[in-house]
Amino acid sequence: MLLRASGEHDGKPHNLQRIVEDAAGSNTVPQTAPLLAYADAFVSGDAALLAARREELHAAVGAAALVDAAGIVAIFTAVVRIADGTGIPLEDFKIEASVELRAELGIDSYGAAASSSPESPERR
Amino acid sequence: MTAIDYATAPFPVRDDLAAAHARAWERLARPGRWWSGEERIAIAREVRHAAGCRYCRQAAQALSPFALEGRHDTVSPLPAPALEAIHRLRHHASRLHEGWYRGLLADGLSEGGYVELIGVLATVLAVDEFHRALGLPPAALPQPRPGQPSRLRPRGARQDIAWVPTLAPEDVGEDDPDLYAGLGGVNIHRALSLVPEEVMGFFDIDTAQYLPDAALRDFGREYRSLSHAQIELLAARVSALNQCVY
Repeated sequence: MLLRASGEHDGKPHNLQRIVEDAAGSNTVPQTAPLLAYADAFVSGDAALLAARREELHAAVGAAALVDAAGIVAIFTAVVRIADGTGIPLEDFKIEASVELRAELGIDSYGAAASSSPESPERR
Repeated sequence: MTAIDYATAPFPVRDDLAAAHARAWERLARPGRWWSGEERIAIAREVRHAAGCRYCRQAAQALSPFALEGRHDTVSPLPAPALEAIHRLRHHASRLHEGWYRGLLADGLSEGGYVELIGVLATVLAVDEFHRALGLPPAALPQPRPGQPSRLRPRGARQDIAWVPTLAPEDVGEDDPDLYAGLGGVNIHRALSLVPEEVMGFFDIDTAQYLPDAALRDFGREYRSLSHAQIELLAARVSALNQCVY
């Protein structure tokens, strides 16, 4: 939802399908490809692949942004454990605001959606 | 005390981020509300060791991770339900359910002990995964500080919105620390509130690695070298890959 909101603020609706698949289409977020490749390599656990994607992202965005990216992927790895481990639900107003988005991205099919309230990728 | 030092890192780590990690390590070693400093470091060590647990890897691939026979490969002298919690949270958190959590309680793990364990696990993961993301070796764990856990439960904590009891912002009492300072008090902030120090500690790291709460919707200004859109793209992707609906 925050990604969608940032696009609305900038007057550039982002292609949210890029969150869950390698969708073609508009590429309104700068450096989408190396950012997603880095995130995918990070989650894969493949150290060699991660090293390669890290170098590519470094070349694309620079050292400071790479460090920021590392912070993001790491903190969300922790946040998902807190959310899933405590069974905390998303707020009602966020559920209502994200009905179409969750359906569009297939998020309602996730395992945690069955044991908690329907939720979206946004957490605040 | 073993400090985290990024002075020799191949990429420049912001001072505020390095300071947040130093505070996290210092806090990790101190006695909490439900675990001693020694036990908290044992949890941290188990979180790291669990990454290589063969049973967990097989369970994560199973149709039901709870149907597979086997034993966790453990390294710490922690109670069995604590080891079970650490390993499953590490490997397949999105497939956990409330019945599993209730089983941990039936096996002797306290509600507060479980919540604090998640706080320790999340702290270790936030720092360790940052290191992995940058190609840095894990930082040495700190030496535990002496002392006993306080075993203090917030008076206003209630069983309401989650599996675990939480302390709503409106129920924070005079005896409680100001755990929602700088935070909106939304549900994810409440998740660990049965142990207020874990809320304060984790979101201290979160503010440095992600964004301060007040900056989340301040789209007219960028706070990092990545834009709001780039940050949220990464956050959403990692959550989706972890099958996390939050």
